[in-house]
Amino acid sequence: MDTAIEIRGLAKRYGEGDAAVDALKGVDMSVAPGEVVGLIGPSGSGKTTLLKCLGAVIEPTAGRMALGGETIYDGGWKVADLRALRRDRIGFVFQAPYLIPFLDVTDNVALLPMLAGVPDGEARDRAREMLAALDVGHRSRALVSQLSGGEQQRVAIARALVNRPPVILADEPTAPLDSERALTVVRILNEMAQRFGTAIIVVTHDEKIIPTFRRIYHIRDGRTYEEAGEARAA
Amino acid sequence: MINLAGRDILHGWGKFAFTGLGLGLLVGVTLSMAGIYRGLVDDGRVLLQNGGADLWVVQRDTLGPYAEPSSVRDDAWRSLLAVRGVAAAGNVTYLTMQIPHERGDVRVMLVGFEPGQPGEPGFLVAGRPVTRSHYEAVADLRAGFRLGERIRIRRHEYTVVGLTRRMVSSGGDPMVFVPLRDAQEVQFTKDNDALVNERARTAANPAFNRPGVPGLLEAVQASQSASRSVNAVLLRLAPHADEAVVAREIRRWKHLEAYTRADMDEIVVAKLIATSSRQIFMFLVILAVVSAAIVAFIIYTMTLGKIREIAVLKLIGAKNRTIAAMILQQALGLGLIAFLVGKTAATLWAPIFPKYVLLLPGDAVLGAALVLAICALASLVAIRAALRVDPATAIGG
Repeated sequence: MDTAIEIRGLAKRYGEGDAAVDALKGVDMSVAPGEVVGLIGPSGSGKTTLLKCLGAVIEPTAGRMALGGETIYDGGWKVADLRALRRDRIGFVFQAPYLIPFLDVTDNVALLPMLAGVPDGEARDRAREMLAALDVGHRSRALVSQLSGGEQQRVAIARALVNRPPVILADEPTAPLDSERALTVVRILNEMAQRFGTAIIVVTHDEKIIPTFRRIYHIRDGRTYEEAGEARAA
Repeated sequence: MINLAGRDILHGWGKFAFTGLGLGLLVGVTLSMAGIYRGLVDDGRVLLQNGGADLWVVQRDTLGPYAEPSSVRDDAWRSLLAVRGVAAAGNVTYLTMQIPHERGDVRVMLVGFEPGQPGEPGFLVAGRPVTRSHYEAVADLRAGFRLGERIRIRRHEYTVVGLTRRMVSSGGDPMVFVPLRDAQEVQFTKDNDALVNERARTAANPAFNRPGVPGLLEAVQASQSASRSVNAVLLRLAPHADEAVVAREIRRWKHLEAYTRADMDEIVVAKLIATSSRQIFMFLVILAVVSAAIVAFIIYTMTLGKIREIAVLKLIGAKNRTIAAMILQQALGLGLIAFLVGKTAATLWAPIFPKYVLLLPGDAVLGAALVLAICALASLVAIRAALRVDPATAIGG
């Protein structure tokens, strides 16, 4: 099977000596293109550390990570420009939308391709296209403060998808939403994954959306355990 | 690429405008201080220009007539006129005093001059020159006198017949020009009681009241009550005359001190107002430091308020220079607003100051450059803080 994300034996240690804490102790994970998997675990289990390692914002201590078949970490970073890696190949959706309040909806989304060097006009076209796909095209000129929570989260998803990254990391994306909106966001993530072939990892505590994942990784004490949808249904 | 700084400013323009307004008032105070300093220097320079003199002849070993008291006999001009290269000579007296007025006492510099000679008011903006020998005056507009108004100077009333402009002392006091004889009387003649007392003392002195020398006592008393001194003689030189040579001649043969325009400029600007200008300069430096600290604090606070956005920008791939440019542009924008507010404020409130405030375009340009430079420097602290933001903080945990 082709893998969008391949992680083997990933470890992360904070601190040194007696104060050292092993947040990740050999994580294994693989996600196929177009697949949405859940990552669940109690507080302090290492979810966020794993997400930060995957997002190339902190450096693991050991192990191997590959995106789209290309090794990005193997005992050390294999990519020179981590900023470009995050910009072009990883999308982020956060618990709160964290949109830029002084930009309108279109420019919030268009900012990413602009940062990648895409001309302004083309970047805005791409943004509008993505916003339309997420049913918020009619709010393209609105400011962030004029949107509802659900609309803001859709815009955040559009921003994560606009550069068509092979991977999206979603950190509790439904936490602030009610059940209906939370399920809508998950549906959108699944649709986008299918449509663009994007592998999506959703970190969540949200009981409402856990049943929607076909595969779930549990993380506990820095280790992951896979649970297939069929097993859960049984 | 979107101008992030511009969008942020437009989004929060109210907060930005108020911050710029507050900072602008501080810049206005700074520009006004520079204007006060320039006004001080300009007051000294116009004092020298308005006399129309090329040389100032004063009492030997003094820095008169403006920086130190000086007394010269009022007939010295005759011999000075005989020096080669001297075209005109005019006696002058200067006396700073209070003149009672309907709006309260007015502090003026009373100038005694000889019409048609160096030292007279250079131009009039209203009225006519002094034509009578006594009790007429020409006043600077800043004194607040009106044409035809009668003002009391010591024992006599004077009619204001002409008005002039920018004729002030080095301290900025407006000048009032009166005929030389009147000014000498004001400055040197004693009051009646003092004269009576002085005459009695002289009469009691056997050296002056000798029975065998009729007329001696009267002659001495007459000389004591007459005023035959002036503060300086202003000379206008003939074309092509070398002022340094003429000054040297006067020092050598007339036993008086002669100062050229350059000498007087040095005395007035470098000596007379040196302490005041240093005082103002120190205040300017402190204001600049305070402004820089306030700008740094404001920019830093504004940046800290956007830490989450900055973390997200870094996480999604914004380059450090994009974030640094955003903060720098905002700092410069704030500086620009502050300068415009400050310049406007300084221009509006300059005429209200009791002394002359000279706002030079060159100082405004320098001020703008300094404000922008201070803002740019002040933004470095905020930029440093922004660049240290860990993009991982956007993810939380």
